[in-house]
Amino acid sequence: MTLSYVWNELHRRAGRTIVTALGLAAGVGLVMAIIGVSDGLSQAQNRILSPLGTVGTDLIVTRTVAPTTSTATTVPSQGGFGGQGGAAAGQGGTGGGFFAGGPGGGSGLAQLNGADTSALLNANSSVLTDLSKLGPAGTNFVHDFFVPGTLITFPDQAVSVVSTIPGVSSAVGALSLQALHESGTVPTIVASIKTGGQTISASTTPPPLTSAQQAAIFSCLQKSGLLSGGGAFGGGGSTGPGAGGGGGARVAIRPTDPAFIKCLPAAQQAFITKVVVPAETIRQVLNPPSTNTTTSSYTVAGVDPTHPNSGVITKAQLVSGHWFDTTPAHEVLVNNAYANTKKLSVGTTLTINGVSYTIVGLVAPTLTGNVSDIYFDLATLQSLSTNSARVNEVLVAVHNSSQVNAVAATIHKELPGAQVLTSRDLADQVTGSLSNAHRLATDLGGALAIVVLLAAFVIAGLLTLSNVAKRVREIGSLRAMGWSRGLVVRQLMTETLAIGVLGGVLGIGLGALISVVIGAVGPGLSVTSSGLAVGASTVSPLLNQSVTGTITTVVHLTAPISAKAVGLGFAGALVGGLLAGVLGGWRAARLSPASALRDLG
Amino acid sequence: MSDAKSSAPQPLYSLAGVGRSYSKGGITVEAVRSIDLDIAAGEMVSLEGPSGSGKSTLLQLIGALDAPTRGSIRFNGRELAHESQKELTRLRSEEIGFVFQHFNLIPTLTAQENVAIAMVPSGASRSARSERAEGLLQQVGLGHRLHHLPTRLSGGEQQRVAIARALANSPRVVIADEPTGNLDSETAAEVISVLAGLRDTAGVTLILATHDDEIGRIAEHRVRLRDGSIV
Repeated sequence: MTLSYVWNELHRRAGRTIVTALGLAAGVGLVMAIIGVSDGLSQAQNRILSPLGTVGTDLIVTRTVAPTTSTATTVPSQGGFGGQGGAAAGQGGTGGGFFAGGPGGGSGLAQLNGADTSALLNANSSVLTDLSKLGPAGTNFVHDFFVPGTLITFPDQAVSVVSTIPGVSSAVGALSLQALHESGTVPTIVASIKTGGQTISASTTPPPLTSAQQAAIFSCLQKSGLLSGGGAFGGGGSTGPGAGGGGGARVAIRPTDPAFIKCLPAAQQAFITKVVVPAETIRQVLNPPSTNTTTSSYTVAGVDPTHPNSGVITKAQLVSGHWFDTTPAHEVLVNNAYANTKKLSVGTTLTINGVSYTIVGLVAPTLTGNVSDIYFDLATLQSLSTNSARVNEVLVAVHNSSQVNAVAATIHKELPGAQVLTSRDLADQVTGSLSNAHRLATDLGGALAIVVLLAAFVIAGLLTLSNVAKRVREIGSLRAMGWSRGLVVRQLMTETLAIGVLGGVLGIGLGALISVVIGAVGPGLSVTSSGLAVGASTVSPLLNQSVTGTITTVVHLTAPISAKAVGLGFAGALVGGLLAGVLGGWRAARLSPASALRDLG
Repeated sequence: MSDAKSSAPQPLYSLAGVGRSYSKGGITVEAVRSIDLDIAAGEMVSLEGPSGSGKSTLLQLIGALDAPTRGSIRFNGRELAHESQKELTRLRSEEIGFVFQHFNLIPTLTAQENVAIAMVPSGASRSARSERAEGLLQQVGLGHRLHHLPTRLSGGEQQRVAIARALANSPRVVIADEPTGNLDSETAAEVISVLAGLRDTAGVTLILATHDDEIGRIAEHRVRLRDGSIV
């Protein structure tokens, strides 16, 4: 066996060498791509399935909307987190919690119970606010509204309640909100109608006075001094005793004189009184409002800057910039992905509702749990969103992972109605095309990789056999020259092994190319987690859409090349080369030198 | 070793009752039947006869490429039937050189590499193999064709490369099967003169199967075969 012989065989029969090597390369490349896709999906899934562990959080306590009335009725009605707007945390309150709701609801929020519906509407009411409060109709406005979606807020005293539970090592409150950025012209959503203020007069013929009425009037006039003698109505001498032909003083009576009016019967008085309708403005909300308002949404979270190692984001997740300063009121951290989309960087200033915030750092949060676009200092966001002293998540770390279930049970007891999610719960809730694709990649992909590699082996083996068949005379001659069977087999195997190496190298290149292509044009895979729901969709119920209560994250499909994939691919090519060599060598070894020569003689 | 003292020197080859039959599809073909033949060292033997007379089969038996189904072949006093495959391989490598009608050069190797490849089993170093191959090619008049691939050599040149290859391990015997069978008369004459030169200068035993009367004429020992038997 000589290497120059191997080299000459390979490069002077370049066509065969390349075809065989390409066959193996295709197998290796595909195997690498399949492993890469599977790895990419695994990595994506791992980022999602173990999100809490990586941020030192074992449990997340939230108060989300009870999905059905049946669950709502099982919740104790006393205490709880305390109601919206309650002064205290609701301890000892009677039915003050969100959890007191009985069956009910109906309307567009039929899936929710009555208490949830009102809490939800109340919590998210700012988006339903009368836009005219932003200025007179026609003026331009830019405004950001903050709503908790279905993650209803609760007083932050819950954080201290949780932190005192045995086994809890830390509890950090956070406020995750959906932000709606609206801009446009204040719409004419309110019609102002002025009404009233007119003077209404009416004229009618009163009924004739009865004798009794006349006598009463006469007497009244006399009493009031308007008529001291004679008949007011004049010429009455014939009926009155001692009447003297209209004698006496003549008195002029003005019809508007109050004293005179007073002497008239009620029916005559009323028709003379002026009626003034009180002035008032009737405001009527028009439905639907016509507006040019454009809305974009993003998510925000308030984090406790004094807990850099636990919470919805941690200092460890910083990719650039720095953590909140000691005076974080005008500082924000921005999700790296969001920053890329919006072309934001450290140092950029964001203006929200007239206040400037400087981006001090970019973070790469885990995919689940609760991913937000912008992270504020908790107190800043609480004031910005008028959620003073309220949070909607408590991130809990326990001393020992075996205590997770016990701590969760205690939290349920201490905070009735709380939703406690463990990392396992979150993992179980992950669905969507990513998990399907991952299942597909591991199950089908593995089988496909084996089939592809076997096909490559078969191709390499057949090509080698055909090569041996073409070289029968050469092999016979070598044997005649004193080459042993072993030497001939070694020669053939070295040739195929070299082809295997070449195929492996080409295959790794092909695999890398496929990886790059997948990375560049690979489809997005959705991940849906029903764990924590602060998404655009959570405002949907307010718009009479169904409650989805899920977060969907799109993960870009990548096929990273790992050392394992390269190693497996290369080993596959070598095995393919060796198998082909064994097959060719076996065929060559069976050739007796005489018959090899005779067949062609 | 009492025989050593006898008058006649021990022949290099001694064939007694050698037969070789092949079975194919239930029919047995006797390619060679009952051959008795002695070949002395340094002798030039030509095996002659029409096609199918068993010349090639007999050469393969003599060259230890094949084993007889009957009889015995002794080479240098050793019964080949008793030797292991490994020993027969060594024998072919060190004691016997082959020249074929179709040259059987390796198409991907140059003239020099084709000669050198025969020395691989001997364990000679690469440079030693190259050097000796060059010397041998010069010896057969191809010093200027060292780096040519077989496809760029004429038939006569290819056969001379094959002869150089057969001599690579300084064998005692060169076995040539129709060495001029594929050549025109002029190049055949060149090849014959090279072969005759081998016998004269190196004392190599030459055993040739041929239709060529020119070879027969210069051979010391002409063996005529018909239907597998010596006539």
